[in-house]
Amino acid sequence: MTHPPRWAQKLLEALGHPDTQEEVQGDLLELYDHWVQTMGKRRANWRYSLAALKLLRPLAKPKPQTYSPPFTSHPDMLRNYVKIATRNLVRNRVYSAINIGGLALGMVCCLLIALYVYDELSYDRFNANFAHIYRVTERQTQPEGIFDVAVTPGPLAPALEKDFPEVQRTTRVGQWHGLLTKGRRAIEPEQFLIVDPSFFSLFSYPLIMGDTNTIFHGPNELIFSEATAERFFGADWRLKNLLGQSITLNKDQTFTLVGVAKNPPTQSHIQFDVLMPFKWLERNDEWSMKWNSNSYHTYLQLRPDVAGKAIDPTAFADKLRGQLKQYQSGNETPLLLQPLSDIYLYSKFAFGTDYGKRSDITYINIFVAVGLIVLLIAVINFINLATARASQRAKEVGVRKSVGAQRSSLVTQFLSEALLMTTLAMLVSLLLAELLLPVFNNLAEKSMAIPYRMPAFWLVIIGLTAVVSLLTGLYPAFFLSSFRPVAVLKTGIAGYFSSGQTGRNFRQSLVVGQFVLSISLAISTVVIYRQLAYLQSTKLGFDKSHLLNVRLKGDLKQNALRFKTDVSQLPGVAQASMTTSNLVDMNNSTTIEWEGQTPKDEFLITQMNVDADFIRTTGMSMVAGRNFSAQITSDTLSKLGTYLINETAAKRMGWTPASALGKKVKFWGTDGTVIGVVKDFHFRPLHVSIEPFILRFRPKEFYFDLLVKTKPGMVASTLPAITSVYKKLDPNYPISYGFVDQDLDRQYRSEQRIGQIILYFSILTILVSCLGLFGLTAFTAEQRTKEIGIRKVLGASVVSIVALLSKDFLKLVLIALIIASPIAWYAMNRWLQSFAYKTSFEWWMPALAGLVAICIALLTTSFQSIKAAIANPVKSLRNE
Amino acid sequence: MKRTFLGEFEEVVLLTVAVLGDEAYGVTITQEIEQRTGRSVGFSTVHTTLQRLAEKGYLSSEMGGATAERGGRRKRFFSVTAAGRRALQEVKQVREELWSALPPQTLQLMGG
Repeated sequence: MTHPPRWAQKLLEALGHPDTQEEVQGDLLELYDHWVQTMGKRRANWRYSLAALKLLRPLAKPKPQTYSPPFTSHPDMLRNYVKIATRNLVRNRVYSAINIGGLALGMVCCLLIALYVYDELSYDRFNANFAHIYRVTERQTQPEGIFDVAVTPGPLAPALEKDFPEVQRTTRVGQWHGLLTKGRRAIEPEQFLIVDPSFFSLFSYPLIMGDTNTIFHGPNELIFSEATAERFFGADWRLKNLLGQSITLNKDQTFTLVGVAKNPPTQSHIQFDVLMPFKWLERNDEWSMKWNSNSYHTYLQLRPDVAGKAIDPTAFADKLRGQLKQYQSGNETPLLLQPLSDIYLYSKFAFGTDYGKRSDITYINIFVAVGLIVLLIAVINFINLATARASQRAKEVGVRKSVGAQRSSLVTQFLSEALLMTTLAMLVSLLLAELLLPVFNNLAEKSMAIPYRMPAFWLVIIGLTAVVSLLTGLYPAFFLSSFRPVAVLKTGIAGYFSSGQTGRNFRQSLVVGQFVLSISLAISTVVIYRQLAYLQSTKLGFDKSHLLNVRLKGDLKQNALRFKTDVSQLPGVAQASMTTSNLVDMNNSTTIEWEGQTPKDEFLITQMNVDADFIRTTGMSMVAGRNFSAQITSDTLSKLGTYLINETAAKRMGWTPASALGKKVKFWGTDGTVIGVVKDFHFRPLHVSIEPFILRFRPKEFYFDLLVKTKPGMVASTLPAITSVYKKLDPNYPISYGFVDQDLDRQYRSEQRIGQIILYFSILTILVSCLGLFGLTAFTAEQRTKEIGIRKVLGASVVSIVALLSKDFLKLVLIALIIASPIAWYAMNRWLQSFAYKTSFEWWMPALAGLVAICIALLTTSFQSIKAAIANPVKSLRNE
Repeated sequence: MKRTFLGEFEEVVLLTVAVLGDEAYGVTITQEIEQRTGRSVGFSTVHTTLQRLAEKGYLSSEMGGATAERGGRRKRFFSVTAAGRRALQEVKQVREELWSALPPQTLQLMGG
């Protein structure tokens, strides 16, 4: 058999007229055979090629056929898809409810979390110069290591402004405390900031009263925020002529009110009640002008380049790095630049030097991850139920295909069903979001609202709906539309699937995936709560219960002893002690010299000034030596005094508690003797281990706090008594007090918050996963109705049938538990790393979480399986 | 003269289709013409002419059933439409009128 030249065939196939392709090729082939027989292969080839070339119609387009192929997105077809989808939705109410409910839960999580993240990310963006503002920070090398601090010396800002042309303006922000009075009105502002006049041009904090051009050129000027103005002058402050009013600070300094600023936006890392000019500080505090004191935040605004674009800060940062030694020889501390966009979320500074409002990017990451997990679980539900229900739709697919539906139109149909479901779920989730927002705001400590008026919000909503419907719809659409009509119509879905169980395996792995995610979250919750309980129950080395802390302000600082004596005599008070701190997160540290110190051996030691009652009031215990005593005069001497140290300090200096007694130490330049060693106690959060501590007894120096140990059950009656004693001694300052145990707890607020959030989300994920499980069990039970009927007829008990139906799913949950445990273990170990004192990850933690998950799963499945098991077999076996 | 115009080759093709009846498709038409007229006809020419005649409405076509030879390709069978038959009739009539108008001596000279 000979063939015509291949090239000619190919050419004809590619470029011949598409409408007559078939017959032309066939005719030519037939003729070719004829030619080969009549005139030989060579001439036949020649004639064939010639004819082929002449028949090329490279530009020809196929003529439209009279019957156009089905147009899948024709309005009629679309209407049909929607109609069928609605019918299916209504007919399978339970499935639809599960699907829509699950998806709505997932989407409401995503919505709320998106709101939260959006809110967090929009901090400080109200500033017109947002992109150009930076904060200068230092990376200090201390004996204990390297610490980033957010504070810089006072003279840095003017020096940088003078030396770098790139710097457009700078402002310093410092913290102050004090009592403001006018006549009988007095307030003690919480956020009392000291700023340069450029504060108002660098940041965007507009003034309601006053002129930014003239304010703060004199030293004794004040600016109130709206809130402070209202507190100080009453609700009708706007009507009064406030500018120029004189206000007294701490009873001895007179200030003029030069302006009222709008309240700083909630989304500002700087919050202020009262502002005071830096000029005043320069006159009244010599430290503010020194290079070796770090107390102020220095902000700078970089000058945009000629085109008005932000300049590249890296070049400037390189120049800035070593700048400090230009001003202070030998100071190698590098200066760093922190963009304004990083301040709120990425600030991790040592020694509490960042006193702005802060959050943590970790929260955002956790939130986003958890939100996506919940959504994923809901999507998996949808896919699972859709493929499980394939049998119900198989016949429909078969019939549709038989009457000419193409695969693409079936895919469109199933996708539009997914779209319909998702749209409904989105509507439900918007409703839910509106309902849950107050709870969520409470949890996240925010006041967010759903931004219905923002176009971007609707874009997100539409985008989310589209993405979710694609995610949920794609797999079922392609799966369902792949059925071969003959197979599904002839043998039914059972016959179709008996060949391969791919659908089932796929569903099972998805269920395992769901439970891996939700069990991991559950285990994490257990670990976090365990750690929180551990933090609360850890013995701190002192008795924090019934311990009250009263701050000594103004006159009381001088009058502390009198206050203490009066308070001690109150009936409800067991002990009282004057101190310089409230025992919560103390980090007032310094270095000391000691007997037997090798040169260059330095460490930071935290210090505190107390009195002889301190040990008794706090319930600490001595390991060696004696307590301070007011009777022994050498104890209170400012020269050659005595000290108590903690065990860690003794160890650090190379002594045992016993050998430490009598050793000489030099603290703040004055020599003294160690007379006792206090048992270690926690004075910092449990994230860090116990560090060296030194106590001194110097009644001549200032005390800042009075610690009061009340008798059990008498706190409520004692508080008013203390308040009245306080009022008598100092009528000006309002009393501020705190409970030490509460203040200690507050240190772990972020951990508690995270625990709460993870708890809620793990409940939610388990709920959504079980929703899917419920649907699947219902489906299996329905599919196996006949089998169950026969089993019952043959004598199977209800229990054995329930076991039969539950076994499969429990197996999946168990597998998920096995997979989830190491994942959760890894994640939680990393989280626990941030604590120096931590609970360990124990076997019962995954076991508990797993048990809860299994119980809930069992409950879910048993509802359906019991229903199937107690059904009368006659009903299921009657027909067919 | 708004009337049918058939080229010479078109006329031949149309006639051949009529002659072949049910068996008229590309190959048979080409072979028939070659056989009857003795001239070598290109298949492409025949094909193009068939297309043109179909466009003019003188021919109609339909695809036949699948075949075993020709690589399984179907054949396109042609048949003469009513318009085609009328066109052939007209051509024939014109010819006959012309022939009958021919003076007898001329006819003799042509050896008729």
